[in-house]
Amino acid sequence: MNQADLQNESKTSIFRTIWCKPNKVASLNLIRLFGDCIQAASSRTKDYLLFRDPESKFHPSPSTLSEIFLMTYIQRSSQLNLTNIFNCTAMTPEQRILLGAHWVWAVLDHPSKNPRIQIAVQVFHLQEREEENLEELHLDVYSKIMHMAGMEVVNGTQAERMVGFCSSIGRDCYALFLFFGRKNDEGNIYGLLSNNLQAAVGKCVRIDQTFIEHFFKGAKCFVTPSGMLQALVGKEGDDPLTMLVKFT
Amino acid sequence: MDLYGKMATQDNKQKENADQNFDYMFKLLIIGNSSVGKTSFLFRYADDTFTSAFVSTVGIDFKVKTAYKNDKQIKLQIWDTAGQERYRTITTAYYRGAMGFILMYDITNEESFAAVQDWATQIKTYSWDNAQVILAANKCDMEEERIVSVDSGRLLAEQLGFEFFETSAKDNINVKQTFERLVDIICDKMSDTLEADPSVATGGPTSRLTDNPMPPQQSDCGC
Ligand SMILES: Nc1nc2c(ncn2[C@@H]2O[C@H](COP(=O)(O)OP(=O)(O)OP(=O)(O)O)[C@@H](O)[C@H]2O)c(=O)[nH]1
Ligand SMILES: [Mg+2]
Repeated sequence: MNQADLQNESKTSIFRTIWCKPNKVASLNLIRLFGDCIQAASSRTKDYLLFRDPESKFHPSPSTLSEIFLMTYIQRSSQLNLTNIFNCTAMTPEQRILLGAHWVWAVLDHPSKNPRIQIAVQVFHLQEREEENLEELHLDVYSKIMHMAGMEVVNGTQAERMVGFCSSIGRDCYALFLFFGRKNDEGNIYGLLSNNLQAAVGKCVRIDQTFIEHFFKGAKCFVTPSGMLQALVGKEGDDPLTMLVKFT
Repeated sequence: MDLYGKMATQDNKQKENADQNFDYMFKLLIIGNSSVGKTSFLFRYADDTFTSAFVSTVGIDFKVKTAYKNDKQIKLQIWDTAGQERYRTITTAYYRGAMGFILMYDITNEESFAAVQDWATQIKTYSWDNAQVILAANKCDMEEERIVSVDSGRLLAEQLGFEFFETSAKDNINVKQTFERLVDIICDKMSDTLEADPSVATGGPTSRLTDNPMPPQQSDCGC
């Protein structure tokens, strides 16, 4: 290699560093920090999922458990200064009914801070499974609001509303259904992430906890939360993507 | 209402959302670019609070607030839309049946003012013809950083046929006035329409406002 080649080589590598590195470092950083926050939130929630009161006086409600997860996550992510690149918006009670989501995570673009990728999250709890009327309660309140707004009431489950919300935004908005414990595995947290559930809406199936549980039948392979985010950040194009995630 | 109370425990205000005790129901929307202050404006009006932290609205949200006019209870269902482009499909779906809009820009943000015309077109496209609109020039407390003059705001409002207020959610300037004026012009419009064509009283996305209103009910027509 002659002098000129060498110089050229070093020039291009300088350019390469300038162009590529910040982005890569940023997303590696993001993925590591996100993993850390989830680790904190999941393990604390797990403690409570497994908690058994010898006197049977304490029964943490589903909403308490979601709040524990979210509070721990938010606390950790602001300690780690993650919120500049990846934010978490807790939904108001009204938004929970309208959009079906409990909170929404977003990878933010720099410097606009507009969401580039979003993950809308809904939590399922073991206890709720039997409570069929909870879904009816949701639908009832939702219908009243929509009636008042003079709008068409689209019958559907909370899960379907969230799927509809995500697909109204586009393929870069994912639905994540979190299971705080599953049958015979009460202490662990699992998730199904997808930007393709819209395909099932209106196909004579009811998208609810039972339907989504089917995805886990016989599943052996789960990605980690960091792996999940890495897949989303690294993804190019508008392809559908569905994966199973183990959070604990 | 019990149902709602059960779901959104702890928050007594939620009850107001489903409470059926009112004379009229108006559906209002707040629209405009992201960060102009729509959510702050609604919080100031409904809860009399303000925070300087910016939490961009995801999709759509709403609050219910009761207003009073001539001893009548008017329930306002106020929709707070997200300004970001990515939510456009979901937000425009809520334009249907709205009786009034607050179209907002930020006096320190040229782009938000330039977008007013587009927002006005959205109203035309997605809502009904009789919807009333007020143009709100928000953040008027930030006089030093002002880019859009009061006159150009007023002129644009005139051209579009909207009423105009300079407002501040932060310093609580013209917030209540904007809502009250909007309610007034909706009522005026309704009685005009009633006089011109009494048949509208039974149809259309409007509420009747006569001396002897129908018993309150929740129906598609909102009254
Ligand atoms: N100085 C000043 N700041 C304001 C005023 N109103 C809102 N803000 C600030 O402007 C920022 C944006 O306010 P929001 O109310 O969240 O804006 P928005 O229009 O709802 O934005 P989107 O939800 O993204 O559409 C926040 O930091 C507010 O504190 C105001 O009247 N004066
Ligand atoms: Mg907002």
